Amino acid sequence: MKARPGAPLIVRSRIALAALFCATAFSIVAARLVDVMVFGAGPRTAGAASIAHPMRADLVDRNGVLIARDLPVSDLYAMPAALWDANEAAHELADATGADEAHLKALFAPKRGYILVQRGLTPDRRDAVMRLGLPGLNFEDGYKRFYPSGRIVAHAVGQVDTDDHGVSGLELGLESSVRGSRDAAPIVLSLDMRIQYVLEHAIEEAAHDFRTKAAGGIVLNVRTGEVLALASMPDYEPNSRRLEPGDSIRNRMTQDVYELGSIFKIFAFTLAVEEKSVRLDEPINIGNGLKLGHYLIHDFERLGPTLSAAMVFAQSSNIGTAQIEMRTGPTKQKPFLRKMGLLEPLKTELPEVAAPLYPRHWEDVEAATIAYGHGISVNPLGFTAAAAAVVNGGTLIQPTFLKHDEVQSGERVISEDTSRTMRELMRLVVTDGTGTKADVQGYDVGGKTGTAEKAENGSYAHHLLISSFCGVFPIHDPKYLVFMMLDEPHGNRQSGGFATGGATAAPAVGRVIARIAPLLGVHRNDIFAAANP
Amino acid sequence: MIRTLNLAFIVMTGLVCLGLYRIAEEARVAAADLKVTRAAIVRENDALTVLGAEWARLTQPGRIQALVGRHLELSDKPEAQLSSLTQLPSKNAPLAAEGEIRNAKAVVPQPLPQPSAQAPMQPAQSGDSSFALIHTGT
Repeated sequence: MKARPGAPLIVRSRIALAALFCATAFSIVAARLVDVMVFGAGPRTAGAASIAHPMRADLVDRNGVLIARDLPVSDLYAMPAALWDANEAAHELADATGADEAHLKALFAPKRGYILVQRGLTPDRRDAVMRLGLPGLNFEDGYKRFYPSGRIVAHAVGQVDTDDHGVSGLELGLESSVRGSRDAAPIVLSLDMRIQYVLEHAIEEAAHDFRTKAAGGIVLNVRTGEVLALASMPDYEPNSRRLEPGDSIRNRMTQDVYELGSIFKIFAFTLAVEEKSVRLDEPINIGNGLKLGHYLIHDFERLGPTLSAAMVFAQSSNIGTAQIEMRTGPTKQKPFLRKMGLLEPLKTELPEVAAPLYPRHWEDVEAATIAYGHGISVNPLGFTAAAAAVVNGGTLIQPTFLKHDEVQSGERVISEDTSRTMRELMRLVVTDGTGTKADVQGYDVGGKTGTAEKAENGSYAHHLLISSFCGVFPIHDPKYLVFMMLDEPHGNRQSGGFATGGATAAPAVGRVIARIAPLLGVHRNDIFAAANP
Repeated sequence: MIRTLNLAFIVMTGLVCLGLYRIAEEARVAAADLKVTRAAIVRENDALTVLGAEWARLTQPGRIQALVGRHLELSDKPEAQLSSLTQLPSKNAPLAAEGEIRNAKAVVPQPLPQPSAQAPMQPAQSGDSSFALIHTGT
């Protein structure tokens, strides 16, 4: 820009100043346009809604079925001083939220500053409250853990507290993984909800039929160590923070230890076969009892003057088993049981695991009684892990609640030959022994019954029993172990008045196997034989 | 000249102001839309979360079994009805009587002779049939 030659200096200066101002302004505008259009700088998004994320990852079963999820909920707060009519507001809020009207009236009466009206409002109830149009209300958004299956899997999965922190079960055991998984990836558990339901249903039925005090069961993959189902009765409703009468949060499969009785003979015979201290066709003198120091060991029923060693196991003779155990003695028995993991606390993802109880002084008498499952107390999950090692070819497994399809390559604790012999013996129990009611045609079930007397006031009470059965199928190539335990069952007409493991738990395990084997892809032998003659 | 330039500057300034206003307004509307969309995403995610949990609750085996027991007549013993594809005969396995089947002809069944009153009815012999496979040979 050039001023007229005749113009005064001041005019030219003003024109130059105006031109400079305009040029600067245009430069700023141009720079901003370039910034917006080329570099894509937009308006700040501070005011935009931020997407909230739940605190804990979903828990799903091995097939992707939802087990636990954080659901969006709101906590409702109110300022009573801001309410026009506290009584009317209490009435409307009680209708909308399901809260107790009298309780709300009591809360609103003192006109205190800021009170909690209701926790965990679902989105539809929140909308209902919003439609009331009441003043002085405020929502605090959050999440609440929801368990769609309710009681079915309560003990294994556990619970969280009001702040969404795990307090029991896998919710506590997997706390770091569940809270650390912010990318919405669910935690895949080893549980199978179909199997869990079948087991829970069978246990409930047995508990009802035999009027038990408690009951429990486990389904375990003997090769991968995956726990497919774990149930404990009585159970509780994890979605409610209150226990109903008769409910229990105690997981009897891990939290309690029991003298399991004859089911423990599995380990006595495993040791005897491994040490070659017995021949299975060898006759064992049974007689009327075995006197050991001040103690007389006897059988549940008279089994005859002699039995072959195999039939000692099949007929579950305490006298015969004690004699066989005494050939190896406590010096070999204790290290063997320790090697099987039965004298150590179980390592698994569940935090509630009780340590085993066993005698400090382990002499001949203790060895003899431990051989048939008295004098040593273990938790059922620990027992199933050791029993799995006996039948899976001799490899110790660690039970896990996380999906883990690979076969565990644990420590070898017995030889393949011993494992095969034990499988044959366990099949004998079901074909010709005390566990015949567990047989399922076509699935070759093997197993062992257990009936233990409970200790009461320093001695064993004959009428208070722990009856159990440990079933394995298919026994020629075991994949799954089904364990069931009934605490203080009572005989009924169906069991011939008996409350033993063979009369109560064995048929229940048979029913479980009949239902879960097709779900697990285990073929019936008879169908297979017909299709492939 | 100065007047022309001033006029041009004023016009340009006005146009730029209008342009800037339009961009600013579009940005404001877009930001508001974004906010609404994000809130909608949150709502939809929450709804999906709730619906997923509801689906899991409604499809749990215990509930399905109760419904089946109430409305259907299905057996609770499925093990005898299930099999595997591996147990079916192989598709490629040669059939023993393939030639016979390929070359077979069906003969239209002939009406059976009516039993006469004189001839007493004889019991059918094993192997009697109203039609037969005929070997044509190749």
